[in-house]
Amino acid sequence: MGDKMKTSLSEKKLILDNRIYCGEAVKLAAFVFSGRADIQIKPGKSASQVLIGARSSDLTAGDFMNEVLNQQCRIDLAKKNSKIAGIIVTKALLSAAGKKG
Amino acid sequence: MAQKTAAKKSKKTTSVLPQVLWRKIGASYLLTNDSGHYAWLKEKDFALVTAGGMTELHPLFSELAVKGFIRNRLDFNDLAAKWKKKNAYLNYGPGLHILVMTLRCNHKCLYCQSSAAGVGDKKTDMNLATARKSVDFAFNSPNPGITIEFQGGEPLLNWEVLKGAVEYARKKSGTAGKELKLALVSNFSLMTEEKADFLLKNEVSLCTSLDGPKNLHDKNRICSSGNSHSDTVKWIKYFQKRCKKQVTEYRVFKPSALLTVSKYSLPLHKEIIDEYVSLGLEDIFVRPLAPIGYARKLWGTIGYDAADFAAFYLKSLDYMLKLNRQGVVIREKMATMMLDKIVNLQDPGYLDARCPCGAAIGQIAYNHNGDLYTCDEGRMVGWEGDDIFRIGNVFKDSYKKVMTAPATKVCVVSSNLEAQPACARCAYKPYCGVCPVYNYEVQGSLWGNIPSNDRCGLFKGILDTLFTLLKSPGNAEILKKWVTK
Amino acid sequence: MTKTTLSVKVNAKDYDLDAVRYAAYAVSDAAYVFIKPGVGGVTVEFVPKNAAAKSISVRFKGELKDEKLRASIFDANRDLREFMILKALVYEEIPAGVRQEDSGLTPEQEKELDALIAQVEGEIKKESAGNKTKDPLGITRTWEEKYGAKNGRKKK
Repeated sequence: MGDKMKTSLSEKKLILDNRIYCGEAVKLAAFVFSGRADIQIKPGKSASQVLIGARSSDLTAGDFMNEVLNQQCRIDLAKKNSKIAGIIVTKALLSAAGKKG
Repeated sequence: MAQKTAAKKSKKTTSVLPQVLWRKIGASYLLTNDSGHYAWLKEKDFALVTAGGMTELHPLFSELAVKGFIRNRLDFNDLAAKWKKKNAYLNYGPGLHILVMTLRCNHKCLYCQSSAAGVGDKKTDMNLATARKSVDFAFNSPNPGITIEFQGGEPLLNWEVLKGAVEYARKKSGTAGKELKLALVSNFSLMTEEKADFLLKNEVSLCTSLDGPKNLHDKNRICSSGNSHSDTVKWIKYFQKRCKKQVTEYRVFKPSALLTVSKYSLPLHKEIIDEYVSLGLEDIFVRPLAPIGYARKLWGTIGYDAADFAAFYLKSLDYMLKLNRQGVVIREKMATMMLDKIVNLQDPGYLDARCPCGAAIGQIAYNHNGDLYTCDEGRMVGWEGDDIFRIGNVFKDSYKKVMTAPATKVCVVSSNLEAQPACARCAYKPYCGVCPVYNYEVQGSLWGNIPSNDRCGLFKGILDTLFTLLKSPGNAEILKKWVTK
Repeated sequence: MTKTTLSVKVNAKDYDLDAVRYAAYAVSDAAYVFIKPGVGGVTVEFVPKNAAAKSISVRFKGELKDEKLRASIFDANRDLREFMILKALVYEEIPAGVRQEDSGLTPEQEKELDALIAQVEGEIKKESAGNKTKDPLGITRTWEEKYGAKNGRKKK
């Protein structure tokens, strides 16, 4: 994988183990990069295959992998913290809309 | 290892893990918690606290217990009250309403983020009907106090509408049952005595930009007349004189000034602060530049990274503290706002550093055509062709619709520090905030990627500086005075 | 500037996967990171962006220890934090001389607190049950799920 990360995104294929990076994280990362690269995801039983066609050379497979990790960590945190996060968001939005709660 | 040492228990240990966040700075640990309390601990004591192993006999026990760092000594009422006070904004809607009177400007500042148009381009002027409708909209906010801030471009270029909006807002506030504050952000180059008189009689507080001594200010803030600095200084002095001669009919507020730090500012912290002091200005807001709007295009020329800004900020604060010790009154605005949270455990109203951020729910930007945005930075993104931060229009959308717009909700969700992996764990979480607009512009998503986010680096630098200065009793005494009411 | 790939093996008995992911994320400012399964744990590969490989390894191991401690503190305090924040949201100043029960809440406050908890729990239940009814504030779906990514111009 180190080799894959060093080169640009121009013709990359990445295999991401589902135990480490869930499908949702890969999908969200692909959305973030969709303005800069053509990304195809082929979900599999044990791993996702990601095909990346870059539109510019300043992006690397490493950038994409870091974004997948970013999204995965968000998902991990949500499993533990969604109640507190939800309380704050609910309160903020209700107050701004002029409702008590 | 620290954890193995702390496993040894005495008879009177608390043995329940406390809720703490921490950051190692140098050889010490800074502890914080949800209520905003903090403590500095040596490694040994840090290990004891985080293992729940501190006994009542320990010299720091009482202090840490009062601050909520000892789990079975928590005063729930006290900690709840403190959390509520520090997060009071969660109970209110938008308090700041930014009316963009025009995108025309007679300056071409290097770092301009407001997408200023040329002086002749009147189609970007807000008309009176839109201004009045915007004022009406602002009064829909459930916030008991609202501030209407007139900005641009250069708002004085649209003087008649500005005047009409001020009159309308003052009249409306008589019956609306809200406290109304009015503010104008202007480069002052088009100010006249007649305009000044009107503004002061209507209690409009005045703010301008002052980047430092003439050569630096005029380098950053290019004006066709070449007199940006002279005009700014002339009117600062005028308003200061008027402030000294208060009358009974209306209050005159001291004029204030903002500093925007460009790459050219970095070697000149002393000269900049001396300029503010020489003009009798008591507050200086050392604002970092953000690569948003047109500033992005020139980032290579005028930009810098978080480490450069942190160094500049530390030198600036050190110099200001030195001046304070000599009896000079000068405070740094960012520090004052952060210290209000750290020392007074209260909300200073700083929309950029709160959870969730102030986008839409704390402030609204009203564009010249009545379009509403989550904030002024969001409006700038809109000007560049991407309306992701647009939340409605004053003529077409109700207040409730705007507050439940997709962009409103997504900004609230993405700036919630409890949902950001790095921020949820950070010792600075009680004092900090993220900016979805920055994240979107610089990192391609509203959530951003915080470990490599330079804005995070900037705030960490500022907070590292403040907490480290607070360790010294002499500095702490001065800094705490800055926020003593 | 070296682009050497650094590999660090992490034993699953020492650190769980969440901790490894977060620790790797915490150093992703300095390196590109890839985690793959290994025997008895995982292997974390780093390709440094600029910093020396050794400092990334040291930082990563430090973050692992920190995250392990943090996770145990978080688990020990999750319920308490939820209680405290809900209490704070409905907290009102009680005049001196009015003594409270041990819970620190008046009956009215307890009612308000229960109502708010019920509201939030209702939202969370809908989300976790996969209920197709949209939550009224629409806050549980991601931006990307609702609107897709914006095209073109947004770049790092």
